[in-house]
Amino acid sequence: KFDSSSPSSSSSSRVKLPTAMDPNLANNPQLIQFLSQEKERAMANEVVAKITSSCWDKCVDKPGSKFSSSETSCLSNCALRYMDMTMLIMKRFQQQ
Amino acid sequence: MDSYSSSSPPMGASPSPEALMEQIQAQLAEAYAKELIETMREKCFDKCITKPGSSLSSGESSCISRCVDRYLEATGIISRSLFSQQR
Repeated sequence: KFDSSSPSSSSSSRVKLPTAMDPNLANNPQLIQFLSQEKERAMANEVVAKITSSCWDKCVDKPGSKFSSSETSCLSNCALRYMDMTMLIMKRFQQQ
Repeated sequence: MDSYSSSSPPMGASPSPEALMEQIQAQLAEAYAKELIETMREKCFDKCITKPGSSLSSGESSCISRCVDRYLEATGIISRSLFSQQR
């Protein structure tokens, strides 16, 4: 019902790998750990990008030469409230 | 093959794990930057170009410069807000 597969426009889907690859590389523990770290980093990056996009719209009216303290607190509060909301949504969804 | 001084192997040959990791990191960094730039284009166009004229006014240009700076700053604020908070 819900398609939770990774979005086609995410950064990680734009990485091109060399055409000839030693199949043993798939078992290389260094590479495996590296890929899992980069995957986490890519996911974190995506979350930050999405939240920044939404919170920018909510908190910034016209870009000035620096942020006011209210803009700064709006942005950091916004990010935290977004995460609170995410947990609430999941909780509620699981209750259905 | 001894004449190659760089870490990247000839085209078609299998890269070392280190070279592969380097390549992947470089491509990811490029992809992240591209995405960020695309987002900023959208956001700054919306905020700064309210009435498109026959050229970019100096007001619009400085707005765009500020917008890029602020958006990058906002990204940092949000990143720190989320990832230096341990729950």
